[in-house]
Amino acid sequence: MSTLTQLDAARMRKHVGRKRVNAIALTLSLGAMAFGLFWLAWILFETVRLGLGGMALSVFTQSTPPPQELTGGLANAIVGSGIMVALATAIGTPVGVMAGVYLAEYGQKTWLGRITQFINDILLSAPSIVIGLFVYAVIVARFKSFSGWAGVFALSLIVIPVVIRTTENMLVLIPNSLREAAYALGTPKWKVIWSVTLKAARAGVVTGVLLALARIAGETAPLLFTALSNQFFSADLGEPMASLPVTIFKFAMSPYENWRQLAWTGVFIITLAVLALNILARVLFRNKH
Amino acid sequence: MDMKVETPVGERIKIAARDLNFYYGSFHALKHVNLDIPDRKVTAFIGPSGCGKSTLLRVFNRMYELYPEQRAEGRLTLDGNDILDRKLDVTLVRAKIGMVFQKPTPFPMSIYDNIAFGVRLFETLPRVEMDERVEWALKKAALWTEVKDKLGQSGASLSGGQQQRLCIARGIAIKPEVLLLDEPCSALDPISTGKIEELIHELKTDYTVVIVTHNMQQAARVSDYTAYMYLGDLIEFGPTSELFMKPKKKDTEDYITGRFG
Amino acid sequence: MADKHMSTQFDTELAGISNRVLEMGGLVESQVAQAMYALSNFSGETATQVLQHEERVNQMEVEIDRDLSAIIARRQPTARDLRLLIAISKTIANLERVGDEAARIARTVQRLINTGVSSRLRLPVADLAFGADLATAQLRKALDAFARLDTAQAVQVLKGDDQIDQEFDGLLRKLITYMMEDPRTISSSIDLVFVAKAIERVGDHAKNLSEAVIYIVKGADVRHTAMADVEDAIR
Repeated sequence: MSTLTQLDAARMRKHVGRKRVNAIALTLSLGAMAFGLFWLAWILFETVRLGLGGMALSVFTQSTPPPQELTGGLANAIVGSGIMVALATAIGTPVGVMAGVYLAEYGQKTWLGRITQFINDILLSAPSIVIGLFVYAVIVARFKSFSGWAGVFALSLIVIPVVIRTTENMLVLIPNSLREAAYALGTPKWKVIWSVTLKAARAGVVTGVLLALARIAGETAPLLFTALSNQFFSADLGEPMASLPVTIFKFAMSPYENWRQLAWTGVFIITLAVLALNILARVLFRNKH
Repeated sequence: MDMKVETPVGERIKIAARDLNFYYGSFHALKHVNLDIPDRKVTAFIGPSGCGKSTLLRVFNRMYELYPEQRAEGRLTLDGNDILDRKLDVTLVRAKIGMVFQKPTPFPMSIYDNIAFGVRLFETLPRVEMDERVEWALKKAALWTEVKDKLGQSGASLSGGQQQRLCIARGIAIKPEVLLLDEPCSALDPISTGKIEELIHELKTDYTVVIVTHNMQQAARVSDYTAYMYLGDLIEFGPTSELFMKPKKKDTEDYITGRFG
Repeated sequence: MADKHMSTQFDTELAGISNRVLEMGGLVESQVAQAMYALSNFSGETATQVLQHEERVNQMEVEIDRDLSAIIARRQPTARDLRLLIAISKTIANLERVGDEAARIARTVQRLINTGVSSRLRLPVADLAFGADLATAQLRKALDAFARLDTAQAVQVLKGDDQIDQEFDGLLRKLITYMMEDPRTISSSIDLVFVAKAIERVGDHAKNLSEAVIYIVKGADVRHTAMADVEDAIR
């Protein structure tokens, strides 16, 4: 019987010690989280505070004004961003998905697959300004003009690696048993991928696309040397095109009050858009799993 | 090397294996297997883990071709025609030899589309005939009454036992000649298992069934012929009642009486 | 009995039930011996003892059968184990009937004593005792063959059954002669015929036991089979 109580006593001591360590660790991590949340909350708060005030219908209907005008909006920037982001996604998604399919379904152990993955990882972490400068050298300098197309191209170069990575990850998660079941019916490989595997991974792939979209919505550097900007309304991709991030960049550091206000409004709009996309991505993802 | 062929007496032979060898890379997993599978009967493969029973089953529908490091050598015929011939399109083999796996795997589509999926691979049927085929397959799999009002619902909304019957219906819908079942009840509760065992009994009137199971009692209940395998060798093959009452080899007896395993 | 199962519990159960069968065999063997002693010595006391022990024999049959069913239900035995259990079921039925035969002999002794028969009448009790010795020897041999799962010994028992049948025929002829010589002996002679029949049946049960042994070891059912075919079956 004494060994039992000795055991109990030893357990109790360890238990008390562990509880203490647990409390310390919990406090530290909660503190760290609170620290991070604090700054995040402050950023959001400032964004709303400074941006909401400038929201009006005119923001969406009027183009960027010259300095110190009382009227004006962000219509050209919003439309420009909208066009370029949409096109970049439309171009980057098929390329990214197909490459992701190749990596997950065909190139799993081949040298080409490994090289592709490696290069993709590099591209994924490439600074966006490097991408912007690359497009500048290859397209803008060659054709001697800034254009919306150059901007689209630069943005799609950011979309593609992200979509490749998420598509590959989502496809690899699909268990082999599902593929085998399709093969066992006599399904050819392309149909297994298209009708079964991709379909099963659909939600995850779409989420990846939405996340890529959310990212490029806020990218400034790639657009600086490619689409440049345009103070007038233009939907012509052959010409320089305004975009929200670049416009914000220009306006935020200017000495003009109305420009600075519009910059904050622009920040607010972008933040809302990214938030909406993220929520959409989560809602889609949660439904399927 | 023993060239004696294990063959059921007085039965028409559906699948014949001669000197069948299988390799995972350099590992010799199946060794000189000579075996005849009888037509329209249930044959069970039993043996301890790693004996090669699933491997042998998966050679029958060339599933190993999905994995480059796996290869099969020897002769395997279906009704006398060589299955392993590389020039023979594997999808044609799989149209005749269907497989149901251990884990139920409904496709990410409606119940109706799950069944129609395989049919659409090989036949173009007008809507009415497709409806009939789907109903027929689900009835054969003893699932029709449970799902007939929700054919549009996702296959994943069914219970485990229902999903497995869905997979069986999916396999039957393309009208194969042989059904391979790889531990079909391992993931299921006893009642679902019982339903599927009943189903197997009915299926054998139309199909040749080969079932791999690690549950000896299931093999004893369900099969007409049983093959006992150990470490890649086919040790014994015979009518189930004989094998479980009076096995010819001591190894077989030791396994089925639980003296090792 | 045979090499070990992975479940030592199962081994214990099989060994246990086999031992109980041997115990029951020993009991009925001594019952027969006691009954024959009672007959040879017209001992009413011994006869009563035999009848008392008869209950124990019946009880053992019921108990062993119950344990048997439990093992089959829980262990789902196959092959050799299943054959063993099926054979045991038949064996204890046979042993119980041997017990019945011993009781029958004991009751006959009691009847003979009650009707005042004694060694005054020169009844061929000694011949009966000889036949009984043969039969109990067969029984002991068969039980021994069961204990060691010895098919050679089992075949010996099968072959020896002919001798017992011949003994019975001889006894019958002798008793008929007695009855014809002295009609006063008819009633008791008929009783002795029944005793002789009981002894012959003990021999038959020993034979059944041996057939069970062959079934356990070889899986061959040699009931109602000619001797030549039996030896083929166990090869």
